[in-house]
Amino acid sequence: MSILESNLRLVAKAAPALASAVREAGGGYLEIEPARSGPPTARAQGRLLHSAYDPLKEATTWSEAQRSSCRDEEVILILGLGLLYHVETLCQVLPPSMQIVVVVPDLTEFHDACAARPWGPWAARVTWVWGEPHAMAEQIVATGKPVRILTYEAAAQLHRDAHAAVEQALRRDAARRAGGQLRIAVIGPIYGGSLPVTRSVVAALQSLGHEVDWIDQSLHAQSYHSLAGLKDLRHRQVMQSKFADFLSQLTLVRVAERPPDLVLAMAQAPMTLPVLEHLRNKHFLTAMWFVENYRHLTYWQQMAGGFDFWFVIQQAACLEAFRRAGAKQVSYLPMAADPEVHTPLVPTPAEQSEYGADVSFVGAGYANRRAILPQLITKEWTFKLWGNEWDGASALSSVLQRNGARIDTETCVKVFNATKVNVNLHSHTGRGLDPDADFVNPRTFELAACGAYQLVDQRSLLGDLFTQEEIAVFRRTEDLPDRIRTSLREPDLRKAMGQAARRRILEEHTFQHRMQELLAQVGMSSPDRVGTILRGERQAGQLGGRSADHPELLPLLHRFPDAQRVELEDVAEGIRRRGPTANLSREELLVLMLDEYRVQTRDLV
Amino acid sequence: MRSLIVQLARLGDVIQTLPAIAALNARDSSETLDVLCAASLTGVVSLFPGIRRVLPWDGDRWRQWAGGWRKTSMSILPTVESYLQEYGPALYGAAYNLNQHPRSILAAHLLARKVVGPGHSGPVAQGLPRWAAYLREVARDRRPNSVHLADAFCGMCGVTPPGFAPRVAPPAAALPHDLACIGEENHRWIAVIVGAGDVARCLPPQVWAQWIGGLLNSDQDCRVVLIGTAGERSRALAIQDGLSPLLLGRLWDATGRTDLCQLASLLARCRWATGADTGSLHLAAAVGIKTLGFYFARARVHETGPYGEGHWVWQASSHSPTTWPVAESLSLILESSEAPVSSVTDGWQLWRGHMDEWGASFTRPGQADSSKAERVRVWNECMSDSEKDAAVLR
Repeated sequence: MSILESNLRLVAKAAPALASAVREAGGGYLEIEPARSGPPTARAQGRLLHSAYDPLKEATTWSEAQRSSCRDEEVILILGLGLLYHVETLCQVLPPSMQIVVVVPDLTEFHDACAARPWGPWAARVTWVWGEPHAMAEQIVATGKPVRILTYEAAAQLHRDAHAAVEQALRRDAARRAGGQLRIAVIGPIYGGSLPVTRSVVAALQSLGHEVDWIDQSLHAQSYHSLAGLKDLRHRQVMQSKFADFLSQLTLVRVAERPPDLVLAMAQAPMTLPVLEHLRNKHFLTAMWFVENYRHLTYWQQMAGGFDFWFVIQQAACLEAFRRAGAKQVSYLPMAADPEVHTPLVPTPAEQSEYGADVSFVGAGYANRRAILPQLITKEWTFKLWGNEWDGASALSSVLQRNGARIDTETCVKVFNATKVNVNLHSHTGRGLDPDADFVNPRTFELAACGAYQLVDQRSLLGDLFTQEEIAVFRRTEDLPDRIRTSLREPDLRKAMGQAARRRILEEHTFQHRMQELLAQVGMSSPDRVGTILRGERQAGQLGGRSADHPELLPLLHRFPDAQRVELEDVAEGIRRRGPTANLSREELLVLMLDEYRVQTRDLV
Repeated sequence: MRSLIVQLARLGDVIQTLPAIAALNARDSSETLDVLCAASLTGVVSLFPGIRRVLPWDGDRWRQWAGGWRKTSMSILPTVESYLQEYGPALYGAAYNLNQHPRSILAAHLLARKVVGPGHSGPVAQGLPRWAAYLREVARDRRPNSVHLADAFCGMCGVTPPGFAPRVAPPAAALPHDLACIGEENHRWIAVIVGAGDVARCLPPQVWAQWIGGLLNSDQDCRVVLIGTAGERSRALAIQDGLSPLLLGRLWDATGRTDLCQLASLLARCRWATGADTGSLHLAAAVGIKTLGFYFARARVHETGPYGEGHWVWQASSHSPTTWPVAESLSLILESSEAPVSSVTDGWQLWRGHMDEWGASFTRPGQADSSKAERVRVWNECMSDSEKDAAVLR
């Protein structure tokens, strides 16, 4: 019997359909060649997937490095096939009770792996998942255990998209089922566009039941801006840098006072690399939602290694750039809207008169907007331009509202609702449309949440978020007047598209959705920390349910509602609240003593 | 009755528990005493007279349990309970708790039916017994105090001081080969304690170099042993760097090379121990050698001077002295005089230790003890009526 057939028999025992599909698919994906030590090694797309000298030794080293992170109660999910040396050695170092699942993203690669070398009994232990990403995710979720993902990078990079899809499906599933109450410190910026996003993030996390400590650095904006009055540029830069350092230290103090499960920073939050490293040394998990164009704001390059998790609004090249810069985990997380803030409303006649127009644009005066928007000034329709930083744009002065003052959110909502066609033109420093038109800006989501009709410039990531029945798109600047003309003739279509866009927001694109995904990603990457809380395993009810063998804690847990997260400090605090004269049980004394030895955070600062 | 002394503080406080143990033994010889102390100190506490057993308190294990709460919360209490069972199946009749930290109070309540000292009215009660309250006020307000901490420990246990300084029998601990010669009778061995627990309480290395150089140049029979922890080795090296190479043959560097029992053995082979670290000075006094302390920063002679008759302490008037009584302290050791020519020098005063029925006190050379009336007043104020009666009876 051939090596292929022998190995496929092992596969067929648990997954006969996979074995048949592999036979049918044939091979040819991998180039097999002998390694110096004798056994075969493999190459794909010109790159070696295993050591050319000793692939088994290399895999053993990899497995040993992974072993300490794996927990008994977890399912170990391996991404990356190659010739499966790493799977074999991992099976050898992990206890038999631990379930090992391998994703098969490509049948031809798996065929080559089956044909290259004979497998041992380890293969019978492996659960193979294959098919569509959702189907694979369902099989993994069906195990009912926390999932720890181990990536064998050399082979996994061949199928990055497929793996990302599986991870996303898992994340979405985890997000759907997430409960529990995390303590999250949210660090906002001193000022700027990510400040309102921070507010929405805080509100979303709170609405999901988490305890949020918003470290609001905007309280210090006035002091920070006052530094702009320093005449010497060097003095100004030094003091602004020192001010940001101070705020970063202040964050550390706040974190020390109420240690969170996760420190979530928003783009532009004043966090220095030394503070991030200090937080890591103290075992705090940190994440950053970088809601900026990574090509324009580039400070992430110095900070990439500082955060445990990065979330970005761009894909592909962006993800790769962050990884190259040292980001350990980086995931795509598009913008969203807060439908409580950006909401449909019927303008009063006075509001309609003040804010209404056939065509409006709200935004700052970037170069491309200065070049494109003048063509919208015509007698065919009324056009109003709102926003700041339009100094010197004389061609637009006749339509500029409020003399170019900054427009607050409330006004924006009125403008969006009172306008027939909202033009949404992504910013760009050149004169035309953004040539790297990938991410979708916050305005897109805000307009959609208002149920307002919008005409937006084409973005490569827009199609994943909205359909053409929800948002109208133009591809060339010269098409814009005609698209407006057409749109103005179709009020019913505008209304229907606006309503559909809002429905889409409510179903998929609120900040609650994003925070659920973000936390699910963090939870999947730390199944024994954040994951355990999100799965509700720290709630009094679940803890009580697992106490059959050890009933000592039950009387203490019964004091808490079933759905309340209970940690050592909560139990201890409950005991102390009983007062100085309470007659304490032995179990209560032990809990108080353990609480005295809880990790001290006083030396954090 | 089986009783337990809970003393979870550092070396200095642990050594200063000796008088309380002696006084408790004297009060009731049928009461057996065990001591609960930090695991790292069990070796030296096992040398104490008058105790039956030493129980190690392993803070690191408690930290591990507390840190593992999330993973093992449902099974953690039985684990901890089985650890406590290693101390013995039955609770102690009484625990004499000498620390105000919640950990000590809880430990006392976990191990004994009744608690004497902090925690006497409950494991989470705020109130302190009189002696503990007195010590807290003294520490908080930095107000004048004449009662030695070791005697206050006696008061916290409900007994008056024993009236003498209890000794620890030096152990027969083997020393590293090159240190074995320390204590040979044809030389005068002086132990120099190079550091202190708090950096603010350390003498500068150059001062020590000056002091040791003066000693070795003045008396060819003198030998110096540098004492300290492994973390203080660099300090010891800095001292040696400041000395003439011709003198180094009469200096032994034992920093970081002894455990506490070996240190006790080493100190017992010397005639004098000098330095600013109160823990090591107390150990030196307990093994029966003369001590000369330099007290500054937060150290105060009346509270934590070496316990017993004939010990000397230079007390600085400022928190961070800039001059040091080098010549004066050398004359004290070299001339073995009762007091150097000058017992007051530029920001420093010399004090000598005494003992009486109310414990330890310190006086200026040639002057009468002016603190006794104040000590008696404090004792009367802090002792309960029944304790006063018991003290009178004794």
